[in-house]
Amino acid sequence: MESTSAGAIALPARTRVHYGMPVSMRLLALAVILALALVAAIRLGAVSLSTTALLDAVTGRGDASTVAIVRQLRMPRALQAALVGAALAVSGATFQALLRNALAEPYILGVSSGAAFGAVATVVTGWSMRSVWALPAAAFAGAIGSMLLVFRIAFSVGRALDARVLLLAGVVVSSFLVALIWLVLTFADTESVRSAIFWMMGSHAGASWRSVSILATCLVPSLAVLFALARPLNLLAVGESTAAYLGTNVERTKLIAFAVATLLAAVSVAVSGTIGFVGLVVPHAMRLLWGSDNRALLPCAALAGGAFLVGADTLSRTLAGANELPIGVVTALIGVPCFVWLLRRPAAL
Amino acid sequence: MFFAWTSREVAWRVCGRVALRAAPFVAFALAFALASCRAPGDSAADSTSARRAPRAGRGSAIELTDDAGRVVHLDAPARRVISLVSSATETLIALGAADRIVGRTRYDDAPEIAAVPSVGGGVDPSIETIVGLHPDLVIAWSADKRQAVRAKLTALGVHVFTVRTEDTSDVFRGIANLGRLTGRDSAALRLGGSIRGELDDVRRSVAGRPAPSVFFVVFNDPPMTAGPDTFIGQLIGLAGGRSLFDDTRQLWPNVSMEEIVRRQPDVVIVPVGEFKTNTVDYLRARTGWRDLRAVREGRVVTVPANLLNRPGANIGKAARVLRAAFYPEFTSAADSANVARPLSAPAERR
Repeated sequence: MESTSAGAIALPARTRVHYGMPVSMRLLALAVILALALVAAIRLGAVSLSTTALLDAVTGRGDASTVAIVRQLRMPRALQAALVGAALAVSGATFQALLRNALAEPYILGVSSGAAFGAVATVVTGWSMRSVWALPAAAFAGAIGSMLLVFRIAFSVGRALDARVLLLAGVVVSSFLVALIWLVLTFADTESVRSAIFWMMGSHAGASWRSVSILATCLVPSLAVLFALARPLNLLAVGESTAAYLGTNVERTKLIAFAVATLLAAVSVAVSGTIGFVGLVVPHAMRLLWGSDNRALLPCAALAGGAFLVGADTLSRTLAGANELPIGVVTALIGVPCFVWLLRRPAAL
Repeated sequence: MFFAWTSREVAWRVCGRVALRAAPFVAFALAFALASCRAPGDSAADSTSARRAPRAGRGSAIELTDDAGRVVHLDAPARRVISLVSSATETLIALGAADRIVGRTRYDDAPEIAAVPSVGGGVDPSIETIVGLHPDLVIAWSADKRQAVRAKLTALGVHVFTVRTEDTSDVFRGIANLGRLTGRDSAALRLGGSIRGELDDVRRSVAGRPAPSVFFVVFNDPPMTAGPDTFIGQLIGLAGGRSLFDDTRQLWPNVSMEEIVRRQPDVVIVPVGEFKTNTVDYLRARTGWRDLRAVREGRVVTVPANLLNRPGANIGKAARVLRAAFYPEFTSAADSANVARPLSAPAERR
């Protein structure tokens, strides 16, 4: 399967994939890295804590504010970053497979613009001042709404769902929503403009146990569905007619995979704003390392995306002391050199 | 990057505008942005005036409505205060409560609190750092539409009092509220009274003089000025000037260069020290700006941005600086350091 499915999206041709490490070992290694990243995220922060104080706080003993820092701030934030990273990476890998396009990413069907439009609408109308959940709820509604619109457009063209039409529909709906956003912001007061821009930059600062549980509730079944679709996705990556000959229900697979991958992106963007780069590059990094078989790629991307975003978030809130860096800055500044190194790495290590 | 400016009162109003221009996918929206007339927003906090609730049973307990309309209850005057709003920080210092401040933002530069740890930005602080400083009161922005900081701190049991910082009534209400929250009511009363006195003196001294039309350059590209309902607009009127755009209802309007040229201000005020490009040399080199008679004839006055852009305890001084900018004969020895006319002798500069 690996040799056939690599064709359309694996980067680049001269890099040979390494099959030496069994899938279970890859998953174990990535899980260990994710666990280490989570430990580091809970250990490190703007406030320096001793290891004993930290362990006490984890078990709920000791100084009340230390307990709050560890159990109400760092732990949900680290878990949210892990879940969002996993969701975005798997979503991106799925889109890349479905669209057979190396540049596909989770926001390609207008999810981020739809979410941003929902967020901007609540900010400008002032609803976001009333409840802390108004903004994420509206962002999620906007993301799902734009996805439905994109599908509606794509289905109205031709008899079957054409990936190219879907892609184009996503791009134009996205552009339209972005235009609407800036139109609204042009006439909005400056406080709204600033709040909207901060939201669009993305951050995990708002993480809470509630957001983590909502995220986990959506994420676990979605990941299960996509992992189950890994084999049909492999076949689709070769070509839709080939997949159909080999017994895949192409239309149903595409629809479910698109919808679930979009849902993952929508939930992520609702809780943490638009965080770029993870969904595009983590799947490619995994392919460069271990090939394009989605049965291994999807779980690997989930673990690697989680670990990457946890690490990036930890750096964003520790590198400059109390000054939090935007997470997109860290993901790109750390991620791009790593990715370039992976791209340029000698084929046989 | 624009996020570095956030929480500098006026600066952060501008940053949204600049980002709006900078975002690569909004080039087409520029035409709108330049000619924008924002709907009169900010209604959420506009009319909210803090009503003092009667004291609770215990003598030292404090119950006060903040500028977003939320009732904040303290068992006793706050002893450990973190201010995320620079003007509120300055007001606290002016009230003699500098020793109560246990955290500041990275923009606060007052020497009294130089040793106090920073909690990061004003709208994107490190909540962990705030919690680690054990504050019993956090002063935050009432206009922050995301509410994430306030909600998070409130959930962790930290009292948050939000303030509005647009006009001079916000300044006086802020002084009274901050005095009450820190148990310094009498200091607040004195401070408010002395600022009122300063403003009255300025107003009386310019009575009957012809009012020059004034363009206050909040930002120069795209041109943004202070509306008549902002503290800057109010101070301009009080110091004897007339805002060139006193017909706008927006707080911080973006105005078109064409309209500025058409209206020809008598005086251009440039606050310097905050934006690198907000300089007189920049204005002299740009079409539009350099075509203004005020620029050609040397009626450009620079003032320190930190003095004019923060609506706090020093608005009396700001009013005197503006008066000296409009009427050179009022330039006292104390104010002369804050008022400069870099173009007033163009022949010598060439």
